[in-house]
Amino acid sequence: MTHTLSRSTLRDAWTLTRTELRTYVRHVTGETRQLVGVGFMVLAFGILFPLTFIGSAVAFGEALATGPVPLGAAGVAFVVVLSVASYVGAAGGLNQERVGQIGPLVRTSIPPLAVSLGRFANRSLQALAIFVPATLVMLGGVAVGAGGLGAPLLVAVAVVPLFAVGLVGGRIVGDILRYANERLQVSLWIKAVLTIGLMVVIFVGTQLLLNSQYEGGGAYGTVISGSVLPGQPLQAFASVVFTPLGADVRPLGLVVAGTTLVAIPIGLVVAMRLETRMLVRDLGSDAAGATQSHGVPHLFEVVPSARVAWRYLLRTRRDPRMLAHLSPLLFGAMGMAGSVVQDPGIALSLGPAAAVIAGAVLAGGAYGLNPLGDDRDQLPLLLTSTPSVGIVLRGRMIAGIVLGLVVAVGIGAPLGLVEHSPAYVLGQSVLAVFLATVSTGIAVGLGAVVPKFERREYMSVERAHPSQWAMMGFFFGGLVVGAIGFVLLWATLSGESILVVALGWLTYVAVLGLAAGGGYRYAVSRMDAFTLDDV
Amino acid sequence: MTTPSPAISTRDLTKRYGGTTAVDGLTFEVPSGVIYGFLGPNGAGKTTTMRMLAGLVEPTNGDGFVAGTHCTERRRLVDHIGLLPEEPPLYGELTAREQLQFAADLRDIPWEQVQERALGLAESLDLIDDLDRRVDGFSKGMKQKTAFVQAVQHDPDVVFLDEPTSGLDPRAARTLRELIVELAAADTTVFLSTHILPVVEEIADRVGVLYDGSLVSEGSPAELTAAAGGDGEANLEDAFLELTDEPAVAWG
Repeated sequence: MTHTLSRSTLRDAWTLTRTELRTYVRHVTGETRQLVGVGFMVLAFGILFPLTFIGSAVAFGEALATGPVPLGAAGVAFVVVLSVASYVGAAGGLNQERVGQIGPLVRTSIPPLAVSLGRFANRSLQALAIFVPATLVMLGGVAVGAGGLGAPLLVAVAVVPLFAVGLVGGRIVGDILRYANERLQVSLWIKAVLTIGLMVVIFVGTQLLLNSQYEGGGAYGTVISGSVLPGQPLQAFASVVFTPLGADVRPLGLVVAGTTLVAIPIGLVVAMRLETRMLVRDLGSDAAGATQSHGVPHLFEVVPSARVAWRYLLRTRRDPRMLAHLSPLLFGAMGMAGSVVQDPGIALSLGPAAAVIAGAVLAGGAYGLNPLGDDRDQLPLLLTSTPSVGIVLRGRMIAGIVLGLVVAVGIGAPLGLVEHSPAYVLGQSVLAVFLATVSTGIAVGLGAVVPKFERREYMSVERAHPSQWAMMGFFFGGLVVGAIGFVLLWATLSGESILVVALGWLTYVAVLGLAAGGGYRYAVSRMDAFTLDDV
Repeated sequence: MTTPSPAISTRDLTKRYGGTTAVDGLTFEVPSGVIYGFLGPNGAGKTTTMRMLAGLVEPTNGDGFVAGTHCTERRRLVDHIGLLPEEPPLYGELTAREQLQFAADLRDIPWEQVQERALGLAESLDLIDDLDRRVDGFSKGMKQKTAFVQAVQHDPDVVFLDEPTSGLDPRAARTLRELIVELAAADTTVFLSTHILPVVEEIADRVGVLYDGSLVSEGSPAELTAAAGGDGEANLEDAFLELTDEPAVAWG
């Protein structure tokens, strides 16, 4: 099969881009919630967030107009552009939606290269919906500061190739990661561990790098800070772009500019070739060939919902991708890991509380945030087999509690014993059980408010993932609620006024208990009234 | 002597989606223990009718009763029905055995109670050796077999089968037809929707033909074919084509 770029290939690519864009626009405009969500994204990240930096943009414009060209500030701004574009590109390469459905189509009708190009263009144009307004806001600030359009035009000239090179560079990285993920002949759990390990290494590595630079590390830090971190090459690039404003051209800048311009088409070719190859190859199944059936352990035989819970746990053990939507929790944990790198003592002082809160959030977030949404294909079975879907919801809650307690108590308690008294660890464990339990009730209630049935790609996993709003609200809410619990625990054990502490606990337990009970009841009533018309 | 109540009855059953009428004032009865072939061209409203009767979607107008229970009373309806939809509702991460056990758990029926029947059905369908394999490694036909066992293992009063032979090889399809006949012989009412007319002609006791949301004809296969061909050589396919081409034909 040849992958040559012809006029008809470009035409097919453009047709696909238009079709996918049209589909996306219809999808967004056809549902008020989607429309509000996308509108909010554009408003927040395309306009409001850049507006918080408008002062810097105006100052940058003034400096361009009046004094020596501020190459340092330009370097930082260009690093931001490059990073954002790289992230967007990598996310696009990694999360290839509907590849499974498109594969057979490209084998029989559209040239694969056209498909790769079309999908890349579609994704890039979608990213521009946020990037363009954000850039215009910043350029407006530069224009105001500079008192004319010359300076912002030069900035725009610099930003466009940087964005493009970041986009294709990121795309290649995303493609390579996706390729590695698909080719790796290991179990899904090993893949999950490798992915998490890679992310931790990257995150912690970045922390160490920043540490070494900003806190005057050794010689290594000096080398790094002198060349990469402040955007030195990009400062040199700025010296080339701002030559009309009197900047002295640095030789490195010419190299960077030339490399950038050459890297865009080469990067695009490499990315498209990679994606085309992946589109037309045969994918092996992730399903294990032979498996052994597992009966329900005695512990889970007590009630029907516990038996249902066991099936959810069993399915997760066989396919950890069921928990892919929890990756934001992982990012939060990495933030903690970064802090531990800077101050290892935190691991013991804050570690137990972090484990309890993470466990509680995991309990609700694992199976509760999209009840029945991620069972979409099995709804005809669930809705015609049970008098009430309450059994399924309770099964999800029990499974979540089991997972959550492994972290909240299984990790939290041993960590706590290192620095705290047994009484504290006991209190912490009781709090963990309470939080994990109420977390599941609140989660199913929240998930029932915004069920999501459409499949979408997230972290390379195509499923009906929970609503982003529900997830973020739940995760951050869990953090706050958990922190309040630990304040109460601390107050209890440090001998604060019994009346105040008792009142605090009473309020805490009552509010969370009511929220959990209400959430569960709401979820049951909503889901029992649920029909396939709602999907 | 009282007339036994029908296993399925509908009165003016209607489903509209916006301005589109998917099912239009359907009125019919299915006696207990019969195989009812439900025919119609694509988009005629067969699946929507089946979904309404199984409690999966609510009628816009009219009533449907299954085993004496209104089709909107899902809480009571589930005790009487089994459903095999067009897409087998199975969890890929479970083995077939675990899936069947899960379905029993959902109904709060101990596995031991349905095990013999489920394994017997699996044996008949040549599925027994694959029960401990994960469903996501199954072919379409094997998934279909698993979903069939799942739909009937609890011995429902009425079972809804949507294209049950889809994806099955000829031998398995024949076995399935025999099992359907056995189900009816054991007084289970089978509501069978399929495009494979010879199957309906062979095993159905009664046939309803749906066209554009309306029931245009109903009777035994013999009655339908007799009315379709004057020369006595017509079959159900001829009757179906004639009915769905000229829906105004009335059968006596």
